[in-house]
Amino acid sequence: MSNPSITGEATEEAIAILPGARARERASRRTGRARRTPAWAAVVLMVAVVYFLLPLYATAVFGFSTGKHFTLQPLWDGLADDGFQTSLQLSLMYSIATTLLALIVVAPTAYLVELRFQRLRSTIEFLTILPFVIPPIILAVGLESTYGINSPVNLIASSWAPVLLMGGYFVLTLPFVFRAVDNALRAVDVRTLTEASASLGAGQMRTFLRVIVPSISLGLVSGALLAFTTAMGEFTLAALLGYPTFPVYLLNINGYQPREGEALVIVSFVITWAGVIALAVVARRAPGTQIVRGGPM
Amino acid sequence: MSRLELVNVTKRFGDQVAVSDFNLTVDDGELVSFLGPSGCGKTTTLRMTAGFEAPDSGSVVVDGVDMTEIPTNKRGMGMVFQGYALFPNMTATENVEFGLAVRKRPLADRRARVAELLELFGLAHVAGSYPHQMSGGQQQRVALARAVAIQPGVLLLDEPLSAVDAKVREELRTEIRRMVTQLGITTILVTHDQSEALSISDRVVVMNRGAIEEVGTPAQVYAEPRSAFTAGFIGAMNEIPVRIVSGAQGLVERRGHRVTAPGAAGLADGELALLLVRPESLEPLSATNGSLNGDLTLTGQVEVQTFLGATTRLLIREFPAGAGEGPALPPTRRIAVDVPSASAGRWPAGSELAVRVPVEASRVIAGRSAAEAARQTPTTPATPTTPPGV
Repeated sequence: MSNPSITGEATEEAIAILPGARARERASRRTGRARRTPAWAAVVLMVAVVYFLLPLYATAVFGFSTGKHFTLQPLWDGLADDGFQTSLQLSLMYSIATTLLALIVVAPTAYLVELRFQRLRSTIEFLTILPFVIPPIILAVGLESTYGINSPVNLIASSWAPVLLMGGYFVLTLPFVFRAVDNALRAVDVRTLTEASASLGAGQMRTFLRVIVPSISLGLVSGALLAFTTAMGEFTLAALLGYPTFPVYLLNINGYQPREGEALVIVSFVITWAGVIALAVVARRAPGTQIVRGGPM
Repeated sequence: MSRLELVNVTKRFGDQVAVSDFNLTVDDGELVSFLGPSGCGKTTTLRMTAGFEAPDSGSVVVDGVDMTEIPTNKRGMGMVFQGYALFPNMTATENVEFGLAVRKRPLADRRARVAELLELFGLAHVAGSYPHQMSGGQQQRVALARAVAIQPGVLLLDEPLSAVDAKVREELRTEIRRMVTQLGITTILVTHDQSEALSISDRVVVMNRGAIEEVGTPAQVYAEPRSAFTAGFIGAMNEIPVRIVSGAQGLVERRGHRVTAPGAAGLADGELALLLVRPESLEPLSATNGSLNGDLTLTGQVEVQTFLGATTRLLIREFPAGAGEGPALPPTRRIAVDVPSASAGRWPAGSELAVRVPVEASRVIAGRSAAEAARQTPTTPATPTTPPGV
């Protein structure tokens, strides 16, 4: 029985000689343990599931019942409501417009910063995170006093009103869109691709649209997604500036037709998720999204 | 298919002079390499030629037309980048077609030309592949095909082979040479790899610290370097300290022996100088019998043998000068001697060896600048590299 112990000691010594061997051994033991999901992780998961899904379940139960049994009647009533249709249309319009505006402004800006104005990077980054520092309520009050009915530049009562809200939404979406686009740009070698394109005779516009945009399509899609959902769900600005968008309508209808309101909440939730999943699928299938650079640079 | 002239081109980055007063004419269909260590200004010069950087002064002229103010996309020069720079969202075909599409060539023409080029570069089987699905060598071939597709007057290659592995590199090197000859495109190749420059260029421009050290054919810069920098940078070179006895007669002296050596004429009498000689030019002597017919000899002990394939390099530490061997000279660095590998067994490490320095195959240059140049030179006899494949 002495042989195994000798072998064991020898192995211990061998491990001690190899630099880093012990650390590696420890690390492998750790990962081995991590592979089995510990009990507390399951508990945390359960709590999270309950925390997130229970309100949704409660909403669904409330919205799809008369109080006693299951019915889709509140949903049909809600969908038939004029307010629902106009507010949803309004929100969709604002969200699509905001998303397009954000992409059209941010993508070329981020590209030029990466390509030529590296010195401006920190300034631009600071500007884009301002919405995190300035809460929407402040933005709303500021917009109201600058462009509201008591201001000499009264946009709210003019035909420019949609532009005002879009401007506000644009600012709120900046951090998300800039991050997403900028990350994608930094993952490709923008400068060399631009130079390669120029050497083949392409002008700046063609280079941007044909070479850069397809190379960062994944970033653009996720930026668009974040901008769209931010604008779709935005409440503070719309409510305080008096725009009857979908979130504002939902709050109102909850006040006097709660079951209809809850049914519509579930519908909007399902629609949003369907949109997110659809876009994610599209992005994954897009060619050229697996960006592999040629070699060491 | 164009004549390229760089006239007094200068570029500064802040206080740093990247390229100073660069003058060069590249003839129609010629392949010229810019060779030098990193930071010597070769890439900056290429980028100014391409139009990616604007020179502070001087001009870039193609076929007599001043291109200095013309943007890259109007210059009609093809460019191949170090990291290929293929468009990741396009297939090989689409990459090669891009420049033709920009030029609004009819679709049928475009397709025919792309197919022809992919065939020429042996890429037909990856025509529909995206860059990330191709090997490094294939990607670089696509990059070459893409640059050539637009029938550029001037082709610029920026370290095109540095990212591919050694075997592919040699294949591609030959392929580039063949292609340039076949298509007759005026080409500039930027490289820090001397064997690459020497093997495929018509002329080599050796650069150091933003300036041209010298321009010549590969054989010229290898066999008759005009500066210590070139001598040290291209291939391995022994530097043997000597003293000028008579600049008028081209006579140098070392340890009591006097010889007439090329390059010594015109140097000041009494000045320290260096006798440059390639490791393969040194001839081992069978006996350690000192001087032979007035030639210089070196005697020392073999320290290391390095097997290089057909030849083996012996590193020799020279014995110190004896009494009465003339005025003292700076110590000699390790002397590299290349011998046929078949006979290398005669001089194992530790053995004694005398070598003849054939003066007809050597060259004398002024000593002080040599020492200075040697300090910034990555390749010196003390750290021998593989001899260039010429």
